[in-house]
Amino acid sequence: LSRSGGTGTLAQWVLVELQGEVEPRQSGDLAGSLLGDLHYTCEGIPVLIVGHHILYGKVVQLEKPFAVLVKQGGASQPSPVGPHGHYTVTALIKTKLLFKTRPKPIITHVPKKV
Amino acid sequence: AAMRSRAEVDATLQTAKLNPAELLPAVHCLNFGPQAGSGECCLLQLEPGLCAELEAGRSLVIRGEKDEHAVLCSKDKTYDMKIADTSNMLLFVPGCKTPEELKADQASCNIIHSQIAGFSKNYWELRRCRPKLKKLRKLLMEDPYEGPDSQKDQASTFSKYTTEDLLNLIQASEEEILHQLQVIDACKIEGYWRILDFNYEMKLLNHVTQLIDSESWPLSKVPLCACLEELGSLEPREMIEHILLSYGRKYVDDGEVFFEMHEDKICRAIAQMLLQNAVKFNLSEFEEIWQHSVPEGMTTRLDQLQGLALVDKSTRPGTIFLLKVEDLPEDNQERFNSLFGIREKWTEVDITPYIQDLCAEKQTVGALLTKYARSSMLNGVKVYNSRRPIS
Repeated sequence: LSRSGGTGTLAQWVLVELQGEVEPRQSGDLAGSLLGDLHYTCEGIPVLIVGHHILYGKVVQLEKPFAVLVKQGGASQPSPVGPHGHYTVTALIKTKLLFKTRPKPIITHVPKKV
Repeated sequence: AAMRSRAEVDATLQTAKLNPAELLPAVHCLNFGPQAGSGECCLLQLEPGLCAELEAGRSLVIRGEKDEHAVLCSKDKTYDMKIADTSNMLLFVPGCKTPEELKADQASCNIIHSQIAGFSKNYWELRRCRPKLKKLRKLLMEDPYEGPDSQKDQASTFSKYTTEDLLNLIQASEEEILHQLQVIDACKIEGYWRILDFNYEMKLLNHVTQLIDSESWPLSKVPLCACLEELGSLEPREMIEHILLSYGRKYVDDGEVFFEMHEDKICRAIAQMLLQNAVKFNLSEFEEIWQHSVPEGMTTRLDQLQGLALVDKSTRPGTIFLLKVEDLPEDNQERFNSLFGIREKWTEVDITPYIQDLCAEKQTVGALLTKYARSSMLNGVKVYNSRRPIS
């Protein structure tokens, strides 16, 4: 049985929606590795630079917001019937950055020395 | 890995041939946080109203045993939970600002190092559903209260349930559970919720109706104090008050507490008492006995027995037998299967009391019949039968 409790003021997070899989550059842990740089144009269009790709997206206000549930304690047991276990609501998500356009590859010639 | 510097970001922009003049000055460098891949975070899509509830500090609870499909409960509603798959990757990012927020906050620093807290390809979807309350009755019927003289209670090895216990075991919201406890006339005895054993309940009711009769009180004005005084030596005062509350409407007149007795409910209970002693009754015999068994001044009517008994007019004379809606399955399809197993063809009037409780928030009995039954005409009357062949 699970319980999710609302904390004082819930944090507001943002959802970033990408097509395809997320894979680390190096084999090994995802933790700590860089996904990319997120910019916005002056018109408010999100631009994500991931590896050698540029992704253009749009800011979407979610009709149905999400709650982020975090499992408490113990190793996660994948449960086919339902989300059994203890959860807390950590944050709410009302906005998403949707990147659906095909990524534009970045053609590099000589990496600039910094 | 070291955090990216502004210089590195600018270099990337240059390589990507993006013009910094067309961009807002602030950049988010997105890194995967330490727990990102652990799968401990998941997303729950919120139905209208639930977001506001969470923001107001109220809790949502997920309920369900290992063998039950999980449901989500707010304070007063219940929702089925289902996994929805997307073909996309959803990343959850704390502290990520929208363009509006960046523009509004001129002093925001140039680089925002954001950690992706987690990611997922799916999320939980909610759909409002009927609370699963049949189990509540089942649990309380494990050990009905037979009165203070009963030997059973002392020796009882059955579980007794507090409000907290019920909240943990029943897949429904707290308000729905408390409401249902009232509907089934449950009472709290020594901190535990109990249902009265029917025979004990009838015994209590009989004390009250006999007293009403001997005192010639009007059925609409039965005084609480006098009942407690006269009957207090026979039964616990809490039980006397409970039976009055179950079968009457409490009100105050001139500082005194009275009950307006529910004629229909009393007649119905007496019918149940008569019907449970046989498989079925000759209809006219039953109606005569029934009218004679109810308190003076009360009139019996067959419509008082909706959802309790079924009249069969296919034979002459007609018959009547006990069929309690609360004994039937909770699941829609199973309920209809069960009803069509009892009788092949039903009129809408006859079947309605036995399917009324299945209606979802804005659903009608007609809609249910369209979905689960097939209609035909029989002797000029519209009847419903099963969509499937009866085995």
